[in-house]
Amino acid sequence: MMASQFTFDPNRCTGCEACVVACWMENRERQSRPWRTVHTFNACGHPDLPVFHLSLACHHCESPACLEHCPADAYTKDAATGTVTIHADRCMGCRYCTWACPHDAPKFNDRAGTIEKCTFCPERASQGLEPACVARCPMEALGLSPLEAERPLVGVPGLPASATAPAIRIALLRRPEPPSLSQRPSAAVLRAFLDALLVVPHAKITLRGEWVLLLFTTVIGGLAAWMGAAQLGGPPVQPWAFLAMGALVLALSTAHLGRPGRAWRALLHLRTSWLSREVALVSAFLGLGILSLLAAPGLGPLASLAGFAALFAIDRIYRVALRTSPWNLHSAHTLFNGLYLLGLLAGIRSLALVMGLIKAGLYLHRKRHFAATGKPIRPQVSALRVGLGFLGPLLAFGFHPWLAAALAVLGDLVDRGEYYDELEVPTPQRDLVESMRSRLGEAG
Amino acid sequence: MVTSADLATARRAFAPYASWVMTVLTTACPRNCYSTCAMRVTVEHGRITAIDPHEGNLATAEGPCLKGLAYLERTTSPERILHPLRRTAAGGFERVSWDVALDLIAERLGAARREHGPQSVFYYTGSGTKGLLNGCGLGFWRRFGGCTTTYGDLCWPAGLEATRLTFGDNRQSAPWDIAEARLIILWGKNASETNLHQMRFVHQALEKGATLVVIDPRRTPTADRAHLLLQPRPGTDGALALGLAHLLIESNAVDHAFIRDHVLGFEAYAALVKTWTPARTAAACGVPEGQIRELADLMGRIAPMSLCAGFGMQRYTNAGQAMRAIQALLPLTGNLGKPGAGWIYANLATQIFGPVKDPLDFYPPERPDGVVRVSVSTARLGADMAAQQEPPLKVGWVERGNPASQNPETPAVLAALRALDFLVVVDERLTDTAREAHLILPSKSLFEQTDVIGAYWHAYLQLRQKVVELPGEVRPETEVYRALGQRLGMTSDDLAFLPAPGDAWTEAWLEARLAPHGITLAQLREGPVLAPGAEPVAFADLTFTTPSGKVELLSEEAAARWGVDPLPDHRPPVESDPGGRYPLHLLTPNTKNGIHSQFLPLQVIRQLMPGPSLEMGPEDALARGLKDGDRVRLFNDRGALVLSLRIHLGLRPGVVVGFNGFGAEDGGSVNLLSKGRETDLGHGAAFHDNLVDVVRA
Repeated sequence: MMASQFTFDPNRCTGCEACVVACWMENRERQSRPWRTVHTFNACGHPDLPVFHLSLACHHCESPACLEHCPADAYTKDAATGTVTIHADRCMGCRYCTWACPHDAPKFNDRAGTIEKCTFCPERASQGLEPACVARCPMEALGLSPLEAERPLVGVPGLPASATAPAIRIALLRRPEPPSLSQRPSAAVLRAFLDALLVVPHAKITLRGEWVLLLFTTVIGGLAAWMGAAQLGGPPVQPWAFLAMGALVLALSTAHLGRPGRAWRALLHLRTSWLSREVALVSAFLGLGILSLLAAPGLGPLASLAGFAALFAIDRIYRVALRTSPWNLHSAHTLFNGLYLLGLLAGIRSLALVMGLIKAGLYLHRKRHFAATGKPIRPQVSALRVGLGFLGPLLAFGFHPWLAAALAVLGDLVDRGEYYDELEVPTPQRDLVESMRSRLGEAG
Repeated sequence: MVTSADLATARRAFAPYASWVMTVLTTACPRNCYSTCAMRVTVEHGRITAIDPHEGNLATAEGPCLKGLAYLERTTSPERILHPLRRTAAGGFERVSWDVALDLIAERLGAARREHGPQSVFYYTGSGTKGLLNGCGLGFWRRFGGCTTTYGDLCWPAGLEATRLTFGDNRQSAPWDIAEARLIILWGKNASETNLHQMRFVHQALEKGATLVVIDPRRTPTADRAHLLLQPRPGTDGALALGLAHLLIESNAVDHAFIRDHVLGFEAYAALVKTWTPARTAAACGVPEGQIRELADLMGRIAPMSLCAGFGMQRYTNAGQAMRAIQALLPLTGNLGKPGAGWIYANLATQIFGPVKDPLDFYPPERPDGVVRVSVSTARLGADMAAQQEPPLKVGWVERGNPASQNPETPAVLAALRALDFLVVVDERLTDTAREAHLILPSKSLFEQTDVIGAYWHAYLQLRQKVVELPGEVRPETEVYRALGQRLGMTSDDLAFLPAPGDAWTEAWLEARLAPHGITLAQLREGPVLAPGAEPVAFADLTFTTPSGKVELLSEEAAARWGVDPLPDHRPPVESDPGGRYPLHLLTPNTKNGIHSQFLPLQVIRQLMPGPSLEMGPEDALARGLKDGDRVRLFNDRGALVLSLRIHLGLRPGVVVGFNGFGAEDGGSVNLLSKGRETDLGHGAAFHDNLVDVVRA
């Protein structure tokens, strides 16, 4: 059997959504929400741009990000057909693939606690039938063809730039310009509405939704710094505090899964998944830490190393969703936070100063970048962050290392809160809006 | 090869074991929709599990739209009514047996007939389901002794009558002929949403280099495939057509030979359009003169031209004349009777079972028979029902329709329905109309009784085949009428017009009606069959059945029958004063997600379209301080409606769009604001003569 690709012709698609219903008809027993979405470019009808539709589901990518990043090894890619499959029985419901996939293909099934997505209709394929959406597209807009090596995908709105090599060919619009219209609202009138019409609804990652992760990463960072500081002459780690905090965040983050009973599966994909590596390193850190505190003090340095390695892994996880300047470095990276705290707790003035300066520099650079690109800078939050996290420790460092550390943690907590709000996952919807914005920007 | 006929035979043979076998059967969607798709339905264990394309209908070969696929939910929806329901004293409904229900109806009908005469019974049917068996309804009421019923139609009469007056008959080329056009004008038609299968052929033409022009106040999904979008002020399409003709004649881009041989009244018409200068036209329509010139240039330069008009545009009080004015552009440029050319509005080739076709079929009879009183205008339903005297209306029977949300002027319709002593409504779900009933009877779905259906865009006769058993206690209307007739003392001879109970007799009944046309059920079980007389290219014979035998730009019949100008001059519609109290035109089109009030409540549709909204352009919103997502109050002197506002940057100023089909559950029908008023021709409903204003709610 040959590998296949979807083909889509926006000239033919009327946006009727029969494909969405066709998919439901085929998969309704196991589908909790639509796997295929019909997106509309310029749904608000801006006079300078055409309106067209894109019917998108899973592109069964050649290098699927879902598969690469899944910690539970729940995805497979069929070498013969190219089909990317989510095996619900292996999924632990961490939802990380919904961040990793720039095409918004994996969907979380609240009821089952696992991921579901387009299957490429293997039962139909085995009978020689096209996928349900293709077979029932009344406009011949959706199609299926043998996978082509060269697919012109760059610059097609709705396909965010990625290294996933989606198996889809999207035809070009025959007329890239809008119809000649009878009238055009004035620029001032358009301006009055455009911002509100060009908003991406439903951000995938929000602070409110991810507070467990905020708590988890902050606590692990704090514990790693404490453990490290204790090795370098700082305050000794209190075993029960370590145990209690470690257990609390582990329990919370496990409960956060759709299928907590399958949490162990997180260790199954160390080969490519940073989430899998992070889980392994955090487990090693907490395990070695407890051992070193209760039985084998000689493991302390190793535990600390595991802790900082875990912080590095945590920061790597968020790279799928972080778009920050410069070089995707963020002042609230857990590794920076951990090292800063280590300097403060261990009384290593130079480390604290260097990390503090790096973090403050990144913070101010980011806010200036926000100001320049019209994103909100939230001056009150910034004042709180700078006052608590940088000026506080600077003043308290000399006489009270604990107070300095506590203030630094509070400041970093504020920063990390903003971090979660800044995380952005590319999606077709966002890509369509952004490409609309940039085309309108070019037009002046 | 196993054919679907073999499968059907097998199905009958194995009926006792039906729950164990999987069959695939041919059927067709009977909704009031252009496309009337053929479908293959998979039935497993007595339940429908899949709906697929049927390539036998060349017009819809790639399969039905999302609504057709949504039948999978609709036929087994928990909202479906499966047994008779009687209104309780508290205003709710209680389940009753068929015996109780039929006894009650028979008693109320008998009493009304006795005390007020049979014409005190009002029989109302909508266009919810196509089928030959629908005719049994009026057959029953004739044998009852008579009834009162409606004339006219909500949908398309102005255009039908205009076409009849101009060309003699509503004929059109096969749907795929538009793929041969070099210039396509979709005038007031949003085919992408209301006839998406037509867009397949339009795209084929565009792929071969054709030019598409859309004329619509809205920038619809259809408009976005066009080269040119003209957005005239609602109700000024006639003026636009006259202005185009002015330019065509002025630049001598007309087909003199065709006009000489086949057109009546050209000189008078030319004199009329001389007054419609580009400047006057542009001012009347609110369209830039440059665009009018551009379109006239395309029309004069590119042939063949297919001109396809929608239904929404002919729902004004001046719309029949406007349609005549638009039609005139075709003979003027010689675009008739040729491949890729012509008038695309309605194809009545499948109307072979009655003595006359639409629109004559739904006009009041010239000589009333004294049995059936055809005296209520569908457009003015509420007011006309209330106005009936000698006898006044006492008992109502509504089937295949939902007038409480779909006819103009909802308040008047509700008042008239509520003034009845007793109302029976037959429906699949609890519509706004069913909620007014004293007794609700469950209706069959399209999959539960075999019938033969026609179409109005293509010319296929199709079998709407029974594929599953009737669920719950549902009975087909034919059997309800039989049971009721027996209770009312009708003899078996009286009831011979009905098919006898059982599928075999229904099929025999249909077979008898098909036989004169040389068509058999076995053929239809295989797939769609073109009606005798279906034309690949309409008017290829250049024969026009008008009084003059020519295309009539000047119609004495129009003047005599309707009291309009014999020439298609433009007069503003009744509600058109842009400076008046209500400055906005309300258009109430369908979306792709529903057909009037059908399909919209389904879960599978709701997830795509959660509810109604009002579309407004940015200028009008700015002037009112409104923004996208605001709750707004849409109102005029007749009624009000609160809706969520959507800003569409492509909507013409002075126009708002509220989609029809939503009812009380969603805050109310858009017809709370419309006026019960007829179109100038054809007894249609002038829904779009509807001025409103909008404020923040």
